Amino acid sequence: MIADRLLGLGFVLVGAVAAWSAWNLVVPFAADPLGPTPFPVTVALILMVCGGLLVINPTHRFEPIERKFAPPLMVVAMLAYALLMEPLGFMPATALLALAIALLFGARILFAAAVAVITAVTLWVLFDKILDLPLPKGILPL
Amino acid sequence: MMETLSALGGGFAVALTPFNIMLALVGCIVGTAIGVLPGIGPLNAIALLLPFCLALRLPPESALILLAAVYYGSGYGGRITAILLNMPGEPSAVLTTLDGHPLAKQGRGGAALAISGIGSFVGATLSVVAMTFMSVPLAKIAVAFSPADYVALIAFALSLLGAVGGVSAPKAWGAGCFGIMLALIGVDSGTGVERFTFGSLEMLGGIDFTVLAIGLFAIGEILLLVETTMRAEAAKIGGGQRLTAKELVFCLPAMMRATGIGFVIGVLPGAGASVASALSYTAEKRINEGNGKFGQGDMRGVAAPETADNAAQIGNLVPMLSLGIPGSGTTAVLLGALLMYNITPGPLLFEQKPEVAWGLIASMYVGNVLLLALNLPLVGVFARLLSVPASVLYPGVLALSFAGVYAASNSAFDLIMSVVFGVLGWLFRKMDIPLVPIVLGFVLGRMLEDNLRRALALSDGAVSALVESPVSIGLWVLTVGALLWPLFLAFRKGRA
Repeated sequence: MIADRLLGLGFVLVGAVAAWSAWNLVVPFAADPLGPTPFPVTVALILMVCGGLLVINPTHRFEPIERKFAPPLMVVAMLAYALLMEPLGFMPATALLALAIALLFGARILFAAAVAVITAVTLWVLFDKILDLPLPKGILPL
Repeated sequence: MMETLSALGGGFAVALTPFNIMLALVGCIVGTAIGVLPGIGPLNAIALLLPFCLALRLPPESALILLAAVYYGSGYGGRITAILLNMPGEPSAVLTTLDGHPLAKQGRGGAALAISGIGSFVGATLSVVAMTFMSVPLAKIAVAFSPADYVALIAFALSLLGAVGGVSAPKAWGAGCFGIMLALIGVDSGTGVERFTFGSLEMLGGIDFTVLAIGLFAIGEILLLVETTMRAEAAKIGGGQRLTAKELVFCLPAMMRATGIGFVIGVLPGAGASVASALSYTAEKRINEGNGKFGQGDMRGVAAPETADNAAQIGNLVPMLSLGIPGSGTTAVLLGALLMYNITPGPLLFEQKPEVAWGLIASMYVGNVLLLALNLPLVGVFARLLSVPASVLYPGVLALSFAGVYAASNSAFDLIMSVVFGVLGWLFRKMDIPLVPIVLGFVLGRMLEDNLRRALALSDGAVSALVESPVSIGLWVLTVGALLWPLFLAFRKGRA
């Protein structure tokens, strides 16, 4: 119930910010009969109405997270990957990512390491050698 | 008639080049595999392959042949998991578990797999035939649509989001609005004004469709899967008696009815394969009341929903190709793929880009034959996918998603955006917000505004022009009906 209320409030908030942002757009010269404002404002208002309905009439409970640490850890691993891909290169970064994800899915460390190496090398060969799509080489002398 | 056949012949000239046959084969294999694996649906798979198509600079018809093969191929895979694992490999295979799994437990898994494979083929192929002859007449009607008619048509498609499938209407419409908002980020094509960029340079070009789709579907799904690492045990395919010719004949009427139901449901916007398979299962149960053991392992209970599922998937492509209005999440992603190639599907597609429209249709005849040939003998190979541990599969899928995003854009910012959408997709799933309206809103939102602009430009800004033609008035009436429908349902429920 509370989750639906929060979600409803979220919809209202996003709608309000969007409506305010679109309302304040300034068009340098008017060549178009519609302009940039009415459409987004209308959509934002509908979003706010939907949010309001959810606040008044909540139906669903937030499903409890079963393994509380796994999803946030995975998000951290993915963000680290996004930041490390260019400096480290595709293969090392992908190996690290695959290692982390395999561990999160319950693999033992040696097995996860094997998955990591195989995933990284396979994808590198697939992209760089077979499909000819260059990926960052990074620190490896390739 | 002759015109259609000669156009179809031209399509076969495209579909039967060795390169395109190979792509269809790859798509069929990937599609079946994706359908088998629980948690990864056709939408994720297409989102995953789209950046490859762009990065490899595949011509649009080849990209569409590949992506569509993944789409209809997944309809062949979902049943394998449903029958052996009692768990749908994709949402529309839920009904197949009801009779399929009991059959597998009775040692007739092989027969259930065979009849469902044949059902998939019959449903899909007959629907492709119907599509062949329906698309051009439909497109010819739609050519006469004015921008105002299109505004009404898109509004109608969006209004249906809240009226189908047991989701809460405010959530579905809210999600649709959210999708439209995402589409409006960036420089407005009509006025050159920046919208919702909040000063960020990266946002000027708008949100990339592949980033949104991979984030919401592939990454969001894996975040959901990592919460539980539980895996179910698969039943053996079993040596038991093979499918007999008698059983096949026994199931044929059910397959024919299911094809009809599936195709019609598929063509209607909003309702997808899940509705079609549920409806055809219930229909068979009712028609054969008293004779049959539905729920305990009736062959027709496997044949009907699988046939309807595949028929609906093909039917879903009809409005996407002829009207340019996708009726389901997956066809919205296919439409998004075409838009990335600067091709706008719709009534003119058949005239201006016949190689794309007819190449796709012809390739579906080829693809379904390939799928039948792959699925009958190789079902055991696909079933073995179910024993790949999660800790091998998902690191690979995730790395492939990221590699695809990066190869298509060469931007680390897009990687971060896909993670952001992944977290959103995960949270939305937890809060029971349907994701399909977000993709539909994203694809249809800009079209809606563009058509609104054109309509108002034609009428010199008079809003009344939006409700002048009979077509638009009819569609607006339907739209209002679809908007009021959930209210009516709630009212009836309140009285009962």
